[in-house]
Amino acid sequence: MIGIQHYLVVSAILFAIGVFGIFLNRKNVIIILMAIELILLSVNLNFVAFSAYLHDLVGQVFAMFVLTVAAGEAAIGLAILVIYFRGRGTIAVDDINRMKG
Amino acid sequence: MREKPLVDLSQYLPILLFLGVALAISGAFVVLPMIVNRLTGTAKPNPDKLAEYECGFPAFEDSRAQFDVRFYLVAILFIVFDLEAAFLYPWAVSLGGIGLTGWASMMLFLVELGIGFAYAWKKGALDWE
Amino acid sequence: MSMIASLALTLPELILSTGALLLLLVAAWGGDGSSRLISWASVALLAIAGLSLGCANGVAFDGLYKADAFSNFAKALVYAAAAVSILIAPRFFEARGAMRAEYPILILLSSVGMGMMVSATDLLTLYVGLELQSLAAYVLASFMRRDSRSAEAGLKYFVLGALASGILLYGISLLYGFTGTTQFGGVATALGDGISHGELFGLVFVMAGLAFKISAVPFHMWTPDVYEGAPTPVTAFFASAPKVAAMALLVRIAVDAMGPATSSWQQIVIFAALASTILGGVAAIGQVNIKRLLAYSSINNVGFALFGLAAGTPDGVAATMSYMAVYIVMTLGSFLCVLQMRNAAGDAVEDIASLSGLSRTRPGLAAAFAIFMFSLAGIPPLFGFWPKFLVFDALVAIGLWPLAMIGIATSVIGAFYYLKIVKTMYFDEPAPAYAPSASRMENGLIALSAVAVSPLGYLAIPLLGALSMAAARALF
Repeated sequence: MIGIQHYLVVSAILFAIGVFGIFLNRKNVIIILMAIELILLSVNLNFVAFSAYLHDLVGQVFAMFVLTVAAGEAAIGLAILVIYFRGRGTIAVDDINRMKG
Repeated sequence: MREKPLVDLSQYLPILLFLGVALAISGAFVVLPMIVNRLTGTAKPNPDKLAEYECGFPAFEDSRAQFDVRFYLVAILFIVFDLEAAFLYPWAVSLGGIGLTGWASMMLFLVELGIGFAYAWKKGALDWE
Repeated sequence: MSMIASLALTLPELILSTGALLLLLVAAWGGDGSSRLISWASVALLAIAGLSLGCANGVAFDGLYKADAFSNFAKALVYAAAAVSILIAPRFFEARGAMRAEYPILILLSSVGMGMMVSATDLLTLYVGLELQSLAAYVLASFMRRDSRSAEAGLKYFVLGALASGILLYGISLLYGFTGTTQFGGVATALGDGISHGELFGLVFVMAGLAFKISAVPFHMWTPDVYEGAPTPVTAFFASAPKVAAMALLVRIAVDAMGPATSSWQQIVIFAALASTILGGVAAIGQVNIKRLLAYSSINNVGFALFGLAAGTPDGVAATMSYMAVYIVMTLGSFLCVLQMRNAAGDAVEDIASLSGLSRTRPGLAAAFAIFMFSLAGIPPLFGFWPKFLVFDALVAIGLWPLAMIGIATSVIGAFYYLKIVKTMYFDEPAPAYAPSASRMENGLIALSAVAVSPLGYLAIPLLGALSMAAARALF
C-alpha cells in the first residue's frame, strides 16, 4: 500500500535534485530552468498527495495556481535568457560573471 | 481518517485496460514484421537502408543544432496562453455550483487574457518576420 | 461576506490592476511616445490607490485577504516608493534611448502584487502576491535589453528568485499538509498544540524563502550583483518597495500564522539579523561601486529591522515598521543622489572615487548625500538614529539586552564605510565635476527626503509612532 510518506519521500528527492541541479550544473542555463520546474513539480506532488490524504480540495486548487505561476515563470525566464543570449552569444553558466565582488 | 478516498482509482480500471491492450497491439505491429523479416531471411541491411529518413533527402546536420530564436518567442506565448485551459476545465465542470460569481470571475479572467493577447499582437510578437 | 463588500476592501488593488491593464493597451497602441503620459497616469493611479486605503478594515473573500491598519501602513509606504521609482525613471532611460512605456506598468503590476502580499491572510494569497511582484521585478531588472549587465542582473535575479519561491513553496506545502489548512489563523491553531517535525520543517523553509526576498544573510548573495547590474531607477525600486512588502509579509506570517511557535522562528530571525548586520557592514568596506555599496547597506539595514521582529512583541513590530518607513526615505534619497552622478558627457558613473571633493563642485548634492549616509549609519542627530533606537529598545524591554549590545556594536562597524564616503566627498581632492543637474523634480525629491531624515524628521515621531503602533496592534 502506498501511503502518504512514500509521496513525501519522492517529492523530497525531486526537490533535492532540483536544488542540486541549480547549483551543480555548470553548462547551460536552460538546465537551470528545468531544475526550477522540477522543484515546483515536487511541490505540486506534495500538494496533491496531502490533498488526497486530508480529503481537502485546497491542495489541488493550490497545485493549479502553482502550475500557472510556473508557466509564467518559465516564460519570463526564457524571455530573459533570449535577451541575455542576444547580448552575449552564450548561455553557459560559467560565463555569467560580469559582476563580481 | 481515510474512509473514502477523494479520487477512487478503481473507476479508472477500464482506461488502464484500454491502455494495456493498445500498447500490446501497437507493440505487436512493430515487432511482428521484424520477426517475420528475420525468419524469412529478407533482412539484408545496407547503409542506404539504415540511414535515418528525413523527408527523402539525406540528414545534413546534427540534431542538436541551435533553434531560431523566434521559436522561443512562440513557445513563450504558447505556455502562457495554453494554461488557461487548466482553469477552464474545473470551472466548466463546476459551473452549476459556483453560479453567477464564478461565471463572472472567469469572464474577467478571459478579458484579462484577451488584453494580454491584444498587447502581444499589437507589439508584433505573433508575426513570424 | 458578500462579493461587493469583498471587492470594496480590495479597492486599492482593483484600481491599480484595472488601471495597469488599460495603460497596457495605451502602451500597445500609443508606442513609446506615450511613455510620459503613462508615467504620470501611473503616479496618479498610485496616489488614488493610496487615498482609497483610507480606513479600509475587514476580511475579504472568506479569509483570503485582510485590510487592516498593518496592511494600510505597508501599502502606503509601497505606493510612495513605487511612485518615486516611476518619477525618476524617464530622464535616466531617455538619456540611453531606452525609455519604454512598459516601465511604469510593470511597477504598477508589481505594486498590486506587493499589496496582496501585505494583505495576505492565506498561504495561497501570499504565494500569488509574491509571484506577481517577483515576475514583474525580473523583467524590470533586465529592462535595458541592449545592456549586457542589465540582462545578466535579470538572469541572476530570476534564477535565485525562482529558487527562493520554490523553497518558500515547499515550506508552504509542508505547512499545509501537517496543519491541514492554508489559512494563517488555522495554521496558528494547529501550531498551538505543540509543533511537529513536519510543521517545523515547513516553518524553516518558509522563513528561508522569505529571507531570500528581503535579502537577509545567508540568502543575500544575489543582492549586490542585481543592484549593480539593474538600471539605477530599478535598483532604487528594488531597494525600497519590495523590501517593505517582503518585510511586512514576514512580520505578518511570523506573528499571525506562526505566533504559537514564536520560540522556533525567533532563533532564525535573531541569527539572520546578526549575520546581516555584520556581513552587510564588513563586506561593504572594500566596495568601489556605489550601487554595490548601497546593496550591502540595504542588507545591513534589513538586519537592524529584523531585530525588531526578533523581539516578537507589539513594540518590536512597531519598531520594525517605523524602521522600514525611515529606511525607504534614506535609501530612495541615496539612489536619487546616485542618479546625479553623471560625467560631463552625460554618462552615468558609479565608482565611489568619482565622488571625491564633491563638496567643492556640488555642495548641495554633497550635503544631501552626507545627510543620507549619516542617517543610514544611525548617527544621533539625524532621523536614522530613531528607528535604530526603537528596535534596540524593544529588545531590551524583553530582556534580550546582550543581543542589543551586539547590535549596537555592529552598527559601529557599519558606520565606518558610510563615514568613508563622507570623508571622500569633503576632504579629498576634487575629481572631475559631474554634469549639472537639469531636473528640478529630482532636486526637489532629494531636498524633500534630506529634510525628512534630518533632525527635522523628529517632528514626525508622534504621527509615525502612532501609525506604526496601530499597525502592530492590528496583528496581536
